[in-house]
Amino acid sequence: MKKTNGGKWNKYLVAGLLMTGLAVLLGIVGFFWTPYSTTAMSASEKFVGPSLYHLFGTDNFGRDIFSRVMQGLSTTIVIGSLVVLFSASIGILLGALTGYFGGILDEIVMRITDAVNGFPSILLALVLISILGNGKQNVILALGIVFVPSYVRIVRSEFIRLRDADYIKRARLMGVSRMRILFVHILPNIFSVFWVSVMIGFNNAILAESGMSYLGIGVQPPDASLGKMLSDAQGYLQTAPWYALAPGLTIVWVVLGFSLFSEGIRRSQYG
Amino acid sequence: MKYFIKKLITLIMTLFLVSVAAFLAFQIIPGDVVTSILGTEATPEREEQLREELGLNKPPVVRYFNWAGGVLRGDPGRSYRYSKNMNEMMPVAELIGDKLPVTLWLAAVALVLIILVSVPLGVLWARSASRSGRAAHFLDAALGVVTQTTMAIPSFFLGILVTYLFGILFKLFTPGGYISYQENFAGFLGYLLFPALSIALPKIAMTARFLRNSMLTELKSDYVRTAYSKGCTRRRVMYGHVLRNALMPVVTFLGMIIAEIVAGSIVIEQVFGLPGIGRLLISSINTRDFPVVEILILYITFVVIFVYFLVDILYRVIDPRISEK
Amino acid sequence: MVKIENLSVAFDGTEVVKNVNLELKDGEILGVVGESGSGKSVTALTLMGLVAETAEITSGRILFDNVVLREAGKPLDKALYRKYQGAEMSMVFQEPMTSLNPTQRVGRQVEEMLRLHTDFTKEEIRAKVLETFEAVGLRDIEKVYDSYPHQLSGGMRQRVMIAMAIILHPDLVVADEPTTALDVTIQNQIIELLREINTREQNAMLFITHDLNLARRICHRIAVMKDGRVVEQGKTEDIFQHPREVYTKNLIEAVPSRMKRRVSVMRKPMQGSVSGGGAEAATGAEMTAGAKNAGGTAADESLTSVLQVRNLSVFYQDGSNSLFAGKRRHCVVEGANFDIYRGESLGLVGESGCGKTSLSKAILGMNSDITGKVVHGSIRPQMIFQDPYSSLNPTKTIGWLLQEPLRAAGKLDKSLAMTKGDMEAAAFDMLHRVGMEDKYFHRKPSQLSGGQRQRISIGQALITRPGLIVADEPVSALDVTIQAQIMELMQKLQQEMGLSYLFISHDINVVYKMCDRIMVMKEGKIMEIGETEELFRHPAQEYTKQLLGAS
Repeated sequence: MKKTNGGKWNKYLVAGLLMTGLAVLLGIVGFFWTPYSTTAMSASEKFVGPSLYHLFGTDNFGRDIFSRVMQGLSTTIVIGSLVVLFSASIGILLGALTGYFGGILDEIVMRITDAVNGFPSILLALVLISILGNGKQNVILALGIVFVPSYVRIVRSEFIRLRDADYIKRARLMGVSRMRILFVHILPNIFSVFWVSVMIGFNNAILAESGMSYLGIGVQPPDASLGKMLSDAQGYLQTAPWYALAPGLTIVWVVLGFSLFSEGIRRSQYG
Repeated sequence: MKYFIKKLITLIMTLFLVSVAAFLAFQIIPGDVVTSILGTEATPEREEQLREELGLNKPPVVRYFNWAGGVLRGDPGRSYRYSKNMNEMMPVAELIGDKLPVTLWLAAVALVLIILVSVPLGVLWARSASRSGRAAHFLDAALGVVTQTTMAIPSFFLGILVTYLFGILFKLFTPGGYISYQENFAGFLGYLLFPALSIALPKIAMTARFLRNSMLTELKSDYVRTAYSKGCTRRRVMYGHVLRNALMPVVTFLGMIIAEIVAGSIVIEQVFGLPGIGRLLISSINTRDFPVVEILILYITFVVIFVYFLVDILYRVIDPRISEK
Repeated sequence: MVKIENLSVAFDGTEVVKNVNLELKDGEILGVVGESGSGKSVTALTLMGLVAETAEITSGRILFDNVVLREAGKPLDKALYRKYQGAEMSMVFQEPMTSLNPTQRVGRQVEEMLRLHTDFTKEEIRAKVLETFEAVGLRDIEKVYDSYPHQLSGGMRQRVMIAMAIILHPDLVVADEPTTALDVTIQNQIIELLREINTREQNAMLFITHDLNLARRICHRIAVMKDGRVVEQGKTEDIFQHPREVYTKNLIEAVPSRMKRRVSVMRKPMQGSVSGGGAEAATGAEMTAGAKNAGGTAADESLTSVLQVRNLSVFYQDGSNSLFAGKRRHCVVEGANFDIYRGESLGLVGESGCGKTSLSKAILGMNSDITGKVVHGSIRPQMIFQDPYSSLNPTKTIGWLLQEPLRAAGKLDKSLAMTKGDMEAAAFDMLHRVGMEDKYFHRKPSQLSGGQRQRISIGQALITRPGLIVADEPVSALDVTIQAQIMELMQKLQQEMGLSYLFISHDINVVYKMCDRIMVMKEGKIMEIGETEELFRHPAQEYTKQLLGAS
């Protein structure tokens, strides 16, 4: 196995990588193929418990849960990634500009982020959805917008911290252009902190999305979503607990895997 | 004192801005409110009449002030969906009135649970993390994994698990068997315990972890070395010096947690079928009952910002580095 | 009374203290002098029982009043040590700000000593603490008693720490770099205080420092440490007059001091340089003949000035909240007037807060809130910073760092643009000039030592051939032997390239060695400017006398 960044290989990294890897793999495969059709209903096979043929059992319509989980997983991962992509890129831009230059832009952005910051992200996303309407794209947009402030915060504080570093002072003295200072001199030094917040952001996006689809808002059928499955499954807890456990534990698996992975990266860099 | 006033003014301004934002947000919603209430069959006259009733014809600024005035008086308009009786729509205030306490109590119980459990847990954890020896290391790592896993569980799933475990398996409560606080307060609290637990568990994990890290950071400080050089025992250093300093950032942390408790209760109410404002919010969003949504968002924002304000003031009071300038 | 016998301490298998033998008698101050990494602090911490639990004693033992406190192979006996810590042995640390609990009043922290080891009543405790505060020279003791650490000045905090250390009249006081974080004038007071305490109490004192001169002032005996071993020890004057070991000799040589004769570095511009034959590489330069006037215009026309400052005042605004009025404009430099000539080193000294940094920033164009004139040559002056660890971008290679100034200059002025090949060649050339090999070109700063980083920092500053360099404490963060090397380098490059330095430092000895003229600042005003020798021998102002005489 190759080492990452010359750092140490540790338990968290291995565990995290394995867990995440498995989940991502399933998700990618699930995009194209599932063992059973996710919509095929079969009255005769209702509520079959986990078995060789149906790894996670079947639901109240006789559908194979494992296949549905795979599909839900791919939806969730795609949404999570797009959300992070959206909010992180805007976050870096805004954070860099406000952190380095300050001024009025900074004041405005800070007021907005302060006001929005404490506000529970799900709530904000819900509000945005109620304005924009349901659907997968709107979920991505809404969550993307909601998560921007947290990236701005982190990037901004890093830029503020580094703005007065000796080597940046020297860059200014040398007459390096401001854009170059921002993106060639400062940005590479932020990567490790930024990377961690990206991974945390990914987890938060997944949790938020599944929370929303649990509430029935956001991703709509026929698009599968782990949250929606959970809300459907709740009524059958007594008779078919695996119906709820499967999607729920899958979410936990993905989020935990990613947390361990980012913890592993952190430890290999800083010991 | 000056700082306090400055902050207060900022608080009020922020609230004002938020109320304007909330108001505006609901003005730009696509789709006509009137049509969605009356349906597409309504006659133009009926539509016009409704428009007049709802005051939609007045200019936005006037409408804002009417609404804001109403909010401050405690009468933020009427619902678009719920009718009180044949002739009038339910005033929002009434709609919210009996639901608010449920959510508030839920949040309160959750907060109490969090503080009561995470502080001793965090301290214990920090103690074992700072000791040497295999037993200590094991405990440290074990707690790490347990908290990490707990934080990875989405709250609604946790709610389902709690329902399954304590409701179905251990039969400690009846899922869906909500007891109103008006009937039986003890029963009410008893039922609330489980949803509160679902909210609290991940936050306990986060807070304990935060406290542990805070304490470990403090333990590396120079003043700890000075304390030992005076002949202090470990116990004295931990509880007499480190704990107090380590708890200060936790106060701010808890402030942030409050916002998440609020978010959590919205979802948890759904899971456990609690008639609080969380469930109301969801249904209002789904039915596009804007006055209700508006006011709920506003109140929740208010609570969150107010809590931050309080935490900020509190922090300034307890940290001598800032308070005695 | 205190015996450290053949002590070796290891962390993770690596020994950082090797077979150290030290002895301390009552009434004696033993200085332990060494550069970073010499093991002096670890030795002291082990003696005090404060070293980390992961530290292994691989050989030797520590005896205190004939009681074995620590022995090889056995773990730390905390209970045993607790009987001694505070009551019989105490420690004064380097950084009083962080060594005191920031959220407790200092009176209470000193009280803790008494509460731990005596059963005095509350009133007795308070009285004793106040008494000790007086004994360490604190004034306004009631006020200090109720203060928090951040409300006191650095000197006061250190006095509080000393009070805490002596309140139980311990037989041993360990002082680990107690004055390094303080201003020069306060340093002296604290040193004298320690000496006084030692004389009065007749206790044993262990004085740890990297500063040989400081040790010389109060220590009866000195032990020199390097790389974990005691290289030499003996009576103070013996060590200085007749050092036996090579390292000791080097250490004494490297320390800049007023006691040594000064050789001027400045050479006359526009005349062929005639260097003194056989002069040592670093300081070899011809002695300047005629004297220059203090400040103001040059009497000798052949001197060109690279910097002219006329009536410069610098302002600084604090307060950042734009919603509320509260920005205040302070004047941090007032009416500065001076020139810097080609090839000279002008020293700038003063206590912290006097405005030296603000002045240098204004000269470099980093602060535009100024009135008055600053005129310098066409090539932008550059700066060398104090901290070698933060002056180089950690994510870039050395080669990139050396070329960046050229790239930047090329973009600003097309006529100065160079080709990639030329820039690389120039970078390699500079790398060699600062005394480093080719292989470092592709390395990152984290792979270099402090001294090496400072060399690269210098290289970066010089590669565009500026006429003026502002050096802000360029050697303060370095070990003494490295200091000497860097100062040599700076002087050599100055000769080769005809540079001028504005040399800011708090270390009088360094300034004495490096600078031809010195400028003294206090509270934003230039108090005096003059030739180095003149200023040291016949200072015109009282303040100058105080500052320069201070060490």
